[in-house]
Amino acid sequence: MPEIEIALRVNGRAAQWRVQPGETLLEALHAHHLKGTKLICGTGDCCGCGVILDGRSINSCCTLAAQADGAELLTIEGLSQDGSLHPIQEAFAEEGAAQCGYCTPGFIMRAYAFLQEHPHPTEADVRAALGGNICRCTGYVKPVAAVLRAAEMMSS
Amino acid sequence: MLNITAYHCPTTISEAVALLAEEGCAVIAGGTDLLVNPRYMVGVREVVDIRKLGLDYIRHEENWLCIGAGATMRTVARHPEAQGLAHGVLAQGAALCASPNIRNTATLAGNVASALPSADTPPALLVLDAQVVLTGIQGERIVPLEQFFTGPGKSAREHELIRELRIPLDTTRKMGGGFYKIYRTAEDISIVNAAASLLVREGIITMAHLVLGAVAPIPLRARKAEEALLGQSPTEENLRQAAEIARDETRPISDQRASADYRRRTSAVAALRALRQAAGLAKIEEVWQHG
Ligand SMILES: Cc1cc2nc3c(=O)[nH]c(=O)nc-3n(C[C@H](O)[C@H](O)[C@H](O)COP(=O)(O)OP(=O)(O)OC[C@H]3O[C@@H](n4cnc5c(N)ncnc54)[C@H](O)[C@@H]3O)c2cc1C
Ligand code: FES
Ligand code: FES
Repeated sequence: MPEIEIALRVNGRAAQWRVQPGETLLEALHAHHLKGTKLICGTGDCCGCGVILDGRSINSCCTLAAQADGAELLTIEGLSQDGSLHPIQEAFAEEGAAQCGYCTPGFIMRAYAFLQEHPHPTEADVRAALGGNICRCTGYVKPVAAVLRAAEMMSS
Repeated sequence: MLNITAYHCPTTISEAVALLAEEGCAVIAGGTDLLVNPRYMVGVREVVDIRKLGLDYIRHEENWLCIGAGATMRTVARHPEAQGLAHGVLAQGAALCASPNIRNTATLAGNVASALPSADTPPALLVLDAQVVLTGIQGERIVPLEQFFTGPGKSAREHELIRELRIPLDTTRKMGGGFYKIYRTAEDISIVNAAASLLVREGIITMAHLVLGAVAPIPLRARKAEEALLGQSPTEENLRQAAEIARDETRPISDQRASADYRRRTSAVAALRALRQAAGLAKIEEVWQHG
Protein backbone atom coordinates (compact mmCIF):
# COMPACT_ATOMS: atom_id res chain seq x y z
CA MET A 1 0.00 0.00 0.00
CA PRO A 2 1.45 3.39 -0.90
CA GLU A 3 2.48 5.28 2.22
CA ILE A 4 1.81 8.98 2.36
CA GLU A 5 4.22 11.53 3.69
CA ILE A 6 2.61 14.27 5.74
CA ALA A 7 4.16 17.38 7.23
CA LEU A 8 2.58 18.91 10.29
CA ARG A 9 3.41 20.59 13.57
CA VAL A 10 2.90 18.46 16.64
CA ASN A 11 2.94 20.21 20.00
CA GLY A 12 4.90 23.09 18.54
CA ARG A 13 7.50 21.02 16.69
CA ALA A 14 7.70 20.33 12.98
CA ALA A 15 7.14 16.68 12.13
CA GLN A 16 7.24 14.52 8.99
CA TRP A 17 5.22 11.34 9.32
CA ARG A 18 4.79 8.42 6.98
CA VAL A 19 1.23 7.17 7.28
CA GLN A 20 -1.05 4.64 5.61
CA PRO A 21 -4.06 5.90 3.62
CA GLY A 22 -6.44 4.13 6.04
CA GLU A 23 -4.60 5.09 9.24
CA THR A 24 -6.54 7.24 11.69
CA LEU A 25 -4.91 10.23 13.31
CA LEU A 26 -5.18 8.42 16.63
CA GLU A 27 -3.31 5.40 15.25
CA ALA A 28 -0.62 7.69 13.85
CA LEU A 29 -0.22 9.41 17.25
CA HIS A 30 0.25 6.06 18.93
CA ALA A 31 2.69 4.93 16.24
CA HIS A 32 4.73 8.06 16.98
CA HIS A 33 4.86 7.34 20.71
CA LEU A 34 2.25 9.90 21.64
CA LYS A 35 0.11 7.58 23.73
CA GLY A 36 -1.56 10.10 26.03
CA THR A 37 -4.52 10.32 23.65
CA LYS A 38 -6.74 7.33 24.34
CA LEU A 39 -8.71 4.97 22.14
CA ILE A 40 -12.00 4.29 23.89
CA CYS A 41 -15.05 3.85 21.65
CA GLY A 42 -13.35 4.30 18.29
CA THR A 43 -16.63 5.48 16.80
CA GLY A 44 -16.71 9.21 17.56
CA ASP A 45 -19.15 8.77 20.43
CA CYS A 46 -17.13 9.54 23.56
CA CYS A 47 -14.66 12.33 22.65
CA GLY A 48 -12.02 10.48 24.68
CA CYS A 49 -9.56 10.71 21.78
CA GLY A 50 -9.86 14.49 21.54
CA VAL A 51 -6.97 16.57 20.20
CA ILE A 52 -6.75 20.13 18.91
CA LEU A 53 -6.34 20.40 15.16
CA ASP A 54 -5.79 23.96 13.91
CA GLY A 55 -7.40 25.35 17.04
CA ARG A 56 -10.50 23.13 17.02
CA SER A 57 -11.13 20.13 19.27
CA ILE A 58 -11.77 17.03 17.18
CA ASN A 59 -11.95 13.28 17.65
CA SER A 60 -8.74 11.69 16.39
CA CYS A 61 -10.36 8.25 16.04
CA CYS A 62 -12.59 9.42 13.20
CA THR A 63 -10.09 11.58 11.34
CA LEU A 64 -7.53 10.18 8.92
CA ALA A 65 -3.90 10.95 9.67
CA ALA A 66 -3.61 12.14 6.07
CA GLN A 67 -6.24 14.81 6.79
CA ALA A 68 -3.82 16.38 9.29
CA ASP A 69 -1.27 17.16 6.57
CA GLY A 70 -0.23 20.79 6.97
CA ALA A 71 -2.01 21.16 10.30
CA GLU A 72 -1.00 22.40 13.73
CA LEU A 73 -1.74 19.62 16.19
CA LEU A 74 -1.89 19.90 19.96
CA THR A 75 -2.22 16.80 22.13
CA ILE A 76 -2.35 16.24 25.88
CA GLU A 77 1.46 15.86 25.84
CA GLY A 78 1.82 19.41 24.58
CA LEU A 79 -0.02 21.20 27.37
CA SER A 80 2.52 21.32 30.17
CA GLN A 81 5.25 23.92 29.85
CA ASP A 82 8.78 23.43 31.23
CA GLY A 83 7.65 20.66 33.52
CA SER A 84 4.73 22.53 35.06
CA LEU A 85 1.18 21.46 34.45
CA HIS A 86 -1.27 23.53 32.45
CA PRO A 87 -3.88 25.19 34.70
CA ILE A 88 -6.58 22.84 33.32
CA GLN A 89 -4.47 19.83 34.26
CA GLU A 90 -3.82 21.34 37.68
CA ALA A 91 -7.51 22.02 38.21
CA PHE A 92 -8.41 18.43 37.25
CA ALA A 93 -5.88 17.13 39.79
CA GLU A 94 -7.00 19.51 42.54
CA GLU A 95 -10.70 18.82 42.05
CA GLY A 96 -10.19 15.07 41.90
CA ALA A 97 -11.80 15.12 38.45
CA ALA A 98 -9.91 12.06 37.22
CA GLN A 99 -10.71 8.66 38.65
CA CYS A 100 -9.60 5.92 36.28
CA GLY A 101 -8.32 8.79 34.15
CA TYR A 102 -9.04 7.20 30.82
CA CYS A 103 -11.41 9.91 29.64
CA THR A 104 -9.32 12.72 31.15
CA PRO A 105 -7.12 13.66 28.17
CA GLY A 106 -10.27 14.05 26.06
CA PHE A 107 -11.95 16.20 28.69
CA ILE A 108 -8.88 18.37 29.09
CA MET A 109 -8.39 18.94 25.36
CA ARG A 110 -12.07 19.76 24.91
CA ALA A 111 -11.89 22.15 27.88
CA TYR A 112 -8.77 23.74 26.40
CA ALA A 113 -10.47 24.53 23.08
CA PHE A 114 -13.61 25.71 24.86
CA LEU A 115 -11.82 28.04 27.30
CA GLN A 116 -9.88 29.64 24.45
CA GLU A 117 -13.21 30.84 23.09
CA HIS A 118 -15.13 31.31 26.36
CA PRO A 119 -12.71 32.43 29.06
CA HIS A 120 -15.51 33.27 31.54
CA PRO A 121 -18.09 30.49 31.21
CA THR A 122 -21.10 29.75 33.39
CA GLU A 123 -21.66 26.26 34.70
CA ALA A 124 -24.37 25.73 32.05
CA ASP A 125 -21.88 26.73 29.34
CA VAL A 126 -19.35 24.22 30.65
CA ARG A 127 -21.94 21.45 30.83
CA ALA A 128 -23.02 22.13 27.23
CA ALA A 129 -19.40 22.29 26.06
CA LEU A 130 -18.58 18.93 27.65
CA GLY A 131 -21.86 17.39 26.45
CA GLY A 132 -20.12 14.93 24.14
CA ASN A 133 -17.40 13.80 26.57
CA ILE A 134 -18.34 10.54 28.24
CA CYS A 135 -16.98 9.53 31.63
CA ARG A 136 -17.86 6.25 33.29
CA CYS A 137 -16.46 7.12 36.72
CA THR A 138 -16.88 10.64 38.01
CA GLY A 139 -20.53 11.51 37.45
CA TYR A 140 -19.36 14.74 35.76
CA VAL A 141 -19.66 16.99 38.83
CA LYS A 142 -15.93 17.18 39.41
CA PRO A 143 -14.84 17.59 35.78
CA VAL A 144 -17.31 20.48 35.48
CA ALA A 145 -15.97 22.02 38.70
CA ALA A 146 -12.43 21.55 37.41
CA VAL A 147 -13.14 23.41 34.18
CA LEU A 148 -14.76 26.28 36.09
CA ARG A 149 -11.77 26.38 38.42
CA ALA A 150 -9.37 26.32 35.48
CA ALA A 151 -11.23 29.25 33.94
CA GLU A 152 -10.67 31.23 37.14
CA MET A 153 -7.01 30.23 37.36
CA MET A 154 -6.41 31.19 33.73
CA SER A 155 -8.04 34.60 34.01
CA SER A 156 -6.37 35.64 37.27
CA MET B 1 -6.71 0.79 10.36
CA LEU B 2 -9.35 1.20 7.68
CA ASN B 3 -9.10 -0.70 4.46
CA ILE B 4 -8.36 2.29 2.22
CA THR B 5 -5.80 1.87 -0.55
CA ALA B 6 -5.38 5.48 -1.66
CA TYR B 7 -5.97 8.93 -0.25
CA HIS B 8 -6.37 11.80 -2.70
CA CYS B 9 -6.44 15.47 -1.84
CA PRO B 10 -7.15 17.29 -5.12
CA THR B 11 -6.99 21.06 -5.41
CA THR B 12 -9.50 21.49 -8.24
CA ILE B 13 -13.09 20.39 -8.63
CA SER B 14 -12.40 18.88 -12.05
CA GLU B 15 -9.69 16.63 -10.57
CA ALA B 16 -12.03 15.66 -7.75
CA VAL B 17 -14.93 14.71 -10.02
CA ALA B 18 -12.63 12.78 -12.35
CA LEU B 19 -11.51 10.69 -9.36
CA LEU B 20 -15.10 10.24 -8.15
CA ALA B 21 -16.14 8.92 -11.54
CA GLU B 22 -14.14 5.78 -10.77
CA GLU B 23 -15.82 2.85 -9.05
CA GLY B 24 -14.81 2.48 -5.38
CA CYS B 25 -13.89 6.12 -4.84
CA ALA B 26 -15.74 8.15 -2.18
CA VAL B 27 -15.65 11.67 -0.86
CA ILE B 28 -14.27 12.19 2.61
CA ALA B 29 -15.38 15.43 4.23
CA GLY B 30 -15.53 15.33 8.04
CA GLY B 31 -15.28 11.55 8.00
CA THR B 32 -17.74 11.30 10.91
CA ASP B 33 -19.98 8.91 9.00
CA LEU B 34 -17.53 7.44 6.52
CA LEU B 35 -14.89 6.38 9.05
CA VAL B 36 -17.36 5.31 11.72
CA ASN B 37 -20.28 3.64 10.05
CA PRO B 38 -19.17 0.58 8.04
CA ARG B 39 -22.15 0.93 5.68
CA TYR B 40 -20.45 3.90 4.01
CA MET B 41 -17.23 1.98 3.44
CA VAL B 42 -18.90 -0.85 1.54
CA GLY B 43 -17.20 -1.01 -1.85
CA VAL B 44 -15.00 1.99 -1.04
CA ARG B 45 -11.28 1.61 -1.65
CA GLU B 46 -10.07 5.14 -2.25
CA VAL B 47 -11.04 8.42 -0.64
CA VAL B 48 -11.08 11.93 -2.06
CA ASP B 49 -10.56 14.62 0.57
CA ILE B 50 -12.39 17.79 -0.45
CA ARG B 51 -10.81 20.21 2.03
CA LYS B 52 -8.54 21.88 -0.55
CA LEU B 53 -11.35 22.66 -3.01
CA GLY B 54 -12.20 26.01 -1.41
CA LEU B 55 -15.74 24.87 -0.59
CA ASP B 56 -15.89 25.95 3.05
CA TYR B 57 -17.93 29.06 2.26
CA ILE B 58 -21.36 30.37 3.14
CA ARG B 59 -22.16 33.22 0.76
CA HIS B 60 -24.83 35.08 -1.13
CA GLU B 61 -25.32 34.64 -4.83
CA GLU B 62 -28.17 36.80 -6.09
CA ASN B 63 -31.17 35.63 -4.10
CA TRP B 64 -29.58 32.44 -2.80
CA LEU B 65 -27.75 31.53 0.34
CA CYS B 66 -25.07 29.11 -0.86
CA ILE B 67 -23.41 26.74 1.59
CA GLY B 68 -20.31 25.00 0.23
CA ALA B 69 -19.62 21.32 0.83
CA GLY B 70 -16.75 22.18 3.17
CA ALA B 71 -18.89 24.16 5.63
CA THR B 72 -19.00 22.36 8.96
CA MET B 73 -21.92 22.07 11.36
CA ARG B 74 -20.08 24.50 13.61
CA THR B 75 -19.78 27.06 10.81
CA VAL B 76 -23.45 26.71 9.89
CA ALA B 77 -24.66 26.85 13.51
CA ARG B 78 -22.71 30.05 14.12
CA HIS B 79 -23.44 31.82 10.88
CA PRO B 80 -25.53 34.97 11.45
CA GLU B 81 -27.50 34.41 8.26
CA ALA B 82 -28.35 30.82 9.17
CA GLN B 83 -29.33 32.04 12.63
CA GLY B 84 -31.54 34.75 11.17
CA LEU B 85 -33.32 32.77 8.48
CA ALA B 86 -36.79 31.47 9.53
CA HIS B 87 -36.01 31.77 13.24
CA GLY B 88 -32.68 30.04 12.68
CA VAL B 89 -34.22 26.65 11.86
CA LEU B 90 -31.08 25.47 10.04
CA ALA B 91 -28.66 26.82 12.66
CA GLN B 92 -30.69 24.96 15.28
CA GLY B 93 -30.58 21.70 13.34
CA ALA B 94 -26.82 22.04 12.90
CA ALA B 95 -26.20 23.04 16.53
CA LEU B 96 -28.14 20.03 17.81
CA CYS B 97 -26.12 17.54 15.75
CA ALA B 98 -23.75 15.39 17.75
CA SER B 99 -21.07 16.84 20.05
CA PRO B 100 -18.88 19.94 19.67
CA ASN B 101 -15.94 17.78 18.56
CA ILE B 102 -18.03 16.16 15.82
CA ARG B 103 -19.54 19.50 14.75
CA ASN B 104 -16.03 20.85 14.28
CA THR B 105 -15.45 18.45 11.38
CA ALA B 106 -18.84 17.09 10.25
CA THR B 107 -20.19 18.96 7.23
CA LEU B 108 -23.72 19.97 6.31
CA ALA B 109 -23.26 18.47 2.84
CA GLY B 110 -22.01 15.22 4.41
CA ASN B 111 -25.17 15.05 6.50
CA VAL B 112 -27.22 15.34 3.30
CA ALA B 113 -24.98 12.95 1.32
CA SER B 114 -25.31 10.26 4.00
CA ALA B 115 -29.07 10.39 3.48
CA LEU B 116 -29.97 8.91 6.84
CA PRO B 117 -33.67 9.22 7.76
CA SER B 118 -32.67 10.34 11.28
CA ALA B 119 -30.30 13.12 10.18
CA ASP B 120 -30.94 16.51 11.78
CA THR B 121 -30.27 19.06 9.07
CA PRO B 122 -32.24 17.60 6.11
CA PRO B 123 -35.63 18.45 7.71
CA ALA B 124 -34.46 22.02 8.33
CA LEU B 125 -33.09 22.29 4.78
CA LEU B 126 -36.32 20.85 3.36
CA VAL B 127 -38.56 23.41 5.06
CA LEU B 128 -36.28 26.08 3.54
CA ASP B 129 -36.79 24.66 0.03
CA ALA B 130 -33.08 23.90 -0.34
CA GLN B 131 -31.53 22.59 -3.53
CA VAL B 132 -28.52 20.32 -4.01
CA VAL B 133 -25.86 21.36 -6.52
CA LEU B 134 -24.22 18.19 -7.87
CA THR B 135 -21.04 18.19 -9.95
CA GLY B 136 -19.88 15.23 -12.01
CA ILE B 137 -17.78 14.61 -15.09
CA GLN B 138 -20.83 15.47 -17.21
CA GLY B 139 -21.10 18.88 -15.56
CA GLU B 140 -23.37 20.37 -12.98
CA ARG B 141 -27.03 19.69 -12.19
CA ILE B 142 -29.39 20.98 -9.57
CA VAL B 143 -31.78 18.72 -7.72
CA PRO B 144 -34.40 20.04 -5.29
CA LEU B 145 -33.65 18.43 -1.92
CA GLU B 146 -37.28 17.33 -1.98
CA GLN B 147 -36.36 14.89 -4.79
CA PHE B 148 -32.89 13.98 -3.50
CA PHE B 149 -33.58 11.28 -0.91
CA THR B 150 -34.73 7.92 -2.26
CA GLY B 151 -34.31 5.59 0.74
CA PRO B 152 -32.23 5.03 3.88
CA GLY B 153 -28.66 5.87 2.82
CA LYS B 154 -29.84 6.28 -0.79
CA SER B 155 -30.13 9.38 -2.91
CA ALA B 156 -30.30 10.73 -6.44
CA ARG B 157 -26.52 11.31 -6.35
CA GLU B 158 -24.46 9.26 -8.80
CA HIS B 159 -20.65 9.35 -8.63
CA GLU B 160 -21.06 13.08 -8.07
CA LEU B 161 -19.79 15.66 -5.66
CA ILE B 162 -22.29 17.74 -3.73
CA ARG B 163 -20.62 21.07 -4.43
CA GLU B 164 -23.04 23.13 -2.42
CA LEU B 165 -26.50 23.41 -0.93
CA ARG B 166 -28.50 26.49 -1.66
CA ILE B 167 -31.52 28.13 -0.10
CA PRO B 168 -33.77 30.63 -1.89
CA LEU B 169 -33.88 33.83 0.15
CA ASP B 170 -36.77 35.70 -1.45
CA THR B 171 -39.36 33.28 -0.05
CA THR B 172 -37.66 32.03 3.10
CA ARG B 173 -36.77 35.47 4.46
CA LYS B 174 -40.36 36.12 5.46
CA MET B 175 -41.02 32.68 6.95
CA GLY B 176 -41.15 31.70 10.56
CA GLY B 177 -39.41 28.43 11.35
CA GLY B 178 -38.76 25.91 14.07
CA PHE B 179 -36.82 22.74 14.81
CA TYR B 180 -37.36 20.23 17.57
CA LYS B 181 -35.30 17.14 18.35
CA ILE B 182 -36.27 14.31 20.67
CA TYR B 183 -33.18 12.41 21.76
CA ARG B 184 -31.67 10.70 24.76
CA THR B 185 -28.29 12.28 25.42
CA ALA B 186 -26.58 15.49 24.43
CA GLU B 187 -25.05 13.96 21.34
CA ASP B 188 -27.37 11.18 20.35
CA ILE B 189 -29.00 10.78 16.97
CA SER B 190 -32.66 11.77 16.86
CA ILE B 191 -35.37 9.40 18.03
CA VAL B 192 -37.67 11.79 16.18
CA ASN B 193 -37.09 15.30 14.88
CA ALA B 194 -39.28 17.88 13.21
CA ALA B 195 -38.76 21.08 11.27
CA ALA B 196 -41.46 23.53 10.28
CA SER B 197 -41.77 26.76 8.36
CA LEU B 198 -44.83 28.97 8.02
CA LEU B 199 -45.71 32.08 6.12
CA VAL B 200 -48.47 34.05 7.80
CA ARG B 201 -50.22 36.95 6.05
CA GLU B 202 -52.78 39.04 7.90
CA GLY B 203 -53.28 36.30 10.44
CA ILE B 204 -53.71 33.52 7.87
CA ILE B 205 -51.24 30.74 7.04
CA THR B 206 -50.45 31.02 3.32
CA MET B 207 -47.55 28.54 3.19
CA ALA B 208 -46.72 25.63 5.49
CA HIS B 209 -43.87 23.11 5.42
CA LEU B 210 -43.59 20.37 7.99
CA VAL B 211 -40.92 17.66 7.81
CA LEU B 212 -40.38 14.83 10.27
CA GLY B 213 -37.15 12.85 10.65
CA ALA B 214 -36.59 9.24 11.78
CA VAL B 215 -40.21 8.23 11.15
CA ALA B 216 -40.01 6.99 7.55
CA PRO B 217 -37.32 5.70 5.12
CA ILE B 218 -36.57 9.31 4.13
CA PRO B 219 -37.25 12.65 5.84
CA LEU B 220 -41.03 12.81 5.69
CA ARG B 221 -42.87 15.78 4.28
CA ALA B 222 -46.20 15.76 6.17
CA ARG B 223 -48.30 16.90 3.24
CA LYS B 224 -51.73 16.34 4.73
CA ALA B 225 -50.79 18.34 7.81
CA GLU B 226 -49.42 21.11 5.58
CA GLU B 227 -52.65 21.23 3.61
CA ALA B 228 -54.72 21.36 6.79
CA LEU B 229 -52.80 24.42 7.93
CA LEU B 230 -53.35 26.46 4.77
CA GLY B 231 -55.94 29.20 5.15
CA GLN B 232 -56.08 28.70 8.94
CA SER B 233 -54.93 31.09 11.61
CA PRO B 234 -51.83 29.93 13.49
CA THR B 235 -53.52 29.16 16.79
CA GLU B 236 -52.46 26.52 19.30
CA GLU B 237 -55.57 24.51 18.48
CA ASN B 238 -54.95 24.53 14.72
CA LEU B 239 -51.27 23.67 15.12
CA ARG B 240 -52.17 20.80 17.43
CA GLN B 241 -54.61 19.39 14.91
CA ALA B 242 -51.98 19.58 12.18
CA ALA B 243 -49.41 17.85 14.41
CA GLU B 244 -51.86 15.01 14.96
CA ILE B 245 -52.46 14.67 11.23
CA ALA B 246 -48.68 14.58 10.74
CA ARG B 247 -48.42 11.80 13.33
CA ASP B 248 -50.81 9.70 11.28
CA GLU B 249 -48.66 10.20 8.19
CA THR B 250 -45.57 8.65 9.82
CA ARG B 251 -44.31 5.13 9.04
CA PRO B 252 -41.75 4.54 11.78
CA ILE B 253 -39.74 1.42 12.59
CA SER B 254 -38.56 0.03 15.92
CA ASP B 255 -34.83 -0.03 16.64
CA GLN B 256 -32.44 0.24 19.59
CA ARG B 257 -33.40 3.90 20.15
CA ALA B 258 -37.17 3.58 20.32
CA SER B 259 -40.18 1.48 19.37
CA ALA B 260 -42.27 2.36 16.35
CA ASP B 261 -45.15 3.21 18.68
CA TYR B 262 -43.04 5.60 20.75
CA ARG B 263 -41.82 7.29 17.59
CA ARG B 264 -45.34 7.63 16.24
CA ARG B 265 -46.62 9.24 19.44
CA THR B 266 -43.67 11.57 19.95
CA SER B 267 -43.76 12.66 16.32
CA ALA B 268 -46.89 14.68 17.21
CA VAL B 269 -45.01 16.31 20.08
CA ALA B 270 -41.98 17.21 17.95
CA ALA B 271 -44.23 18.48 15.15
CA LEU B 272 -46.29 20.66 17.50
CA ARG B 273 -43.20 22.16 19.14
CA ALA B 274 -41.60 22.95 15.78
CA LEU B 275 -44.86 24.49 14.56
CA ARG B 276 -45.24 26.60 17.71
CA GLN B 277 -41.77 28.06 17.14
CA ALA B 278 -42.60 28.71 13.51
CA ALA B 279 -45.80 30.52 14.51
CA GLY B 280 -44.03 32.54 17.18
CA LEU B 281 -46.03 30.86 19.97
CA ALA B 282 -42.96 29.35 21.66
CA LYS B 283 -39.65 30.84 22.60
CA ILE B 284 -36.79 29.66 20.46
CA GLU B 285 -33.93 28.25 22.46
CA GLU B 286 -30.78 29.71 21.00
CA VAL B 287 -28.93 26.43 21.22
CA TRP B 288 -26.24 27.62 18.86
CA GLN B 289 -24.90 29.92 21.59
CA HIS B 290 -23.22 26.94 23.22
CA GLY B 291 -21.25 26.00 20.09
C1 LIG C 1 -20.84 10.34 17.62
C2 LIG C 1 -21.63 10.79 16.45
C3 LIG C 1 -22.80 11.48 16.66
C4 LIG C 1 -23.58 11.91 15.58
N1 LIG C 1 -24.71 12.61 15.84
C5 LIG C 1 -25.46 13.05 14.82
C6 LIG C 1 -26.64 13.80 15.08
O1 LIG C 1 -26.98 14.09 16.23
N2 LIG C 1 -27.38 14.20 14.01
C7 LIG C 1 -27.03 13.92 12.73
O2 LIG C 1 -27.74 14.31 11.81
N3 LIG C 1 -25.90 13.23 12.46
C8 LIG C 1 -25.12 12.78 13.47
N4 LIG C 1 -23.98 12.05 13.20
C9 LIG C 1 -23.65 11.68 11.81
C10 LIG C 1 -22.63 12.58 11.10
O3 LIG C 1 -21.84 13.31 12.01
C11 LIG C 1 -23.29 13.55 10.14
O4 LIG C 1 -24.07 12.84 9.21
C12 LIG C 1 -22.27 14.41 9.39
O5 LIG C 1 -22.90 15.59 8.96
C13 LIG C 1 -21.61 13.74 8.20
O6 LIG C 1 -20.74 14.69 7.58
P1 LIG C 1 -19.19 14.41 7.31
O7 LIG C 1 -18.63 15.65 6.73
O8 LIG C 1 -18.52 13.89 8.53
O9 LIG C 1 -19.33 13.27 6.22
P2 LIG C 1 -18.33 12.07 5.82
O10 LIG C 1 -18.31 11.06 6.91
O11 LIG C 1 -17.04 12.61 5.35
O12 LIG C 1 -19.14 11.50 4.59
C14 LIG C 1 -20.39 10.83 4.76
C15 LIG C 1 -20.85 10.20 3.45
O13 LIG C 1 -21.21 11.22 2.52
C16 LIG C 1 -20.33 11.23 1.42
N5 LIG C 1 -20.03 12.66 1.19
C17 LIG C 1 -19.63 13.56 2.13
N6 LIG C 1 -19.53 14.79 1.59
C18 LIG C 1 -19.89 14.68 0.29
C19 LIG C 1 -19.98 15.58 -0.79
N7 LIG C 1 -19.72 16.89 -0.64
N8 LIG C 1 -20.36 15.13 -2.00
C20 LIG C 1 -20.64 13.80 -2.16
N9 LIG C 1 -20.57 12.90 -1.18
C21 LIG C 1 -20.20 13.32 0.04
C22 LIG C 1 -19.15 10.37 1.81
O14 LIG C 1 -18.56 9.74 0.70
C23 LIG C 1 -19.80 9.38 2.76
O15 LIG C 1 -20.44 8.36 2.05
C24 LIG C 1 -23.17 11.62 14.27
C25 LIG C 1 -21.98 10.93 14.05
C26 LIG C 1 -21.21 10.53 15.11
C27 LIG C 1 -19.93 9.80 14.87
S1 FES D 1 -12.37 7.06 21.03
FE1 FES D 1 -12.73 8.62 19.63
S2 FES D 1 -14.61 9.39 20.22
FE2 FES D 1 -14.40 7.67 21.51
S1 FES E 1 -12.42 9.01 35.06
FE1 FES E 1 -12.85 7.00 34.45
S2 FES E 1 -13.96 7.30 32.61
FE2 FES E 1 -13.74 9.28 33.37
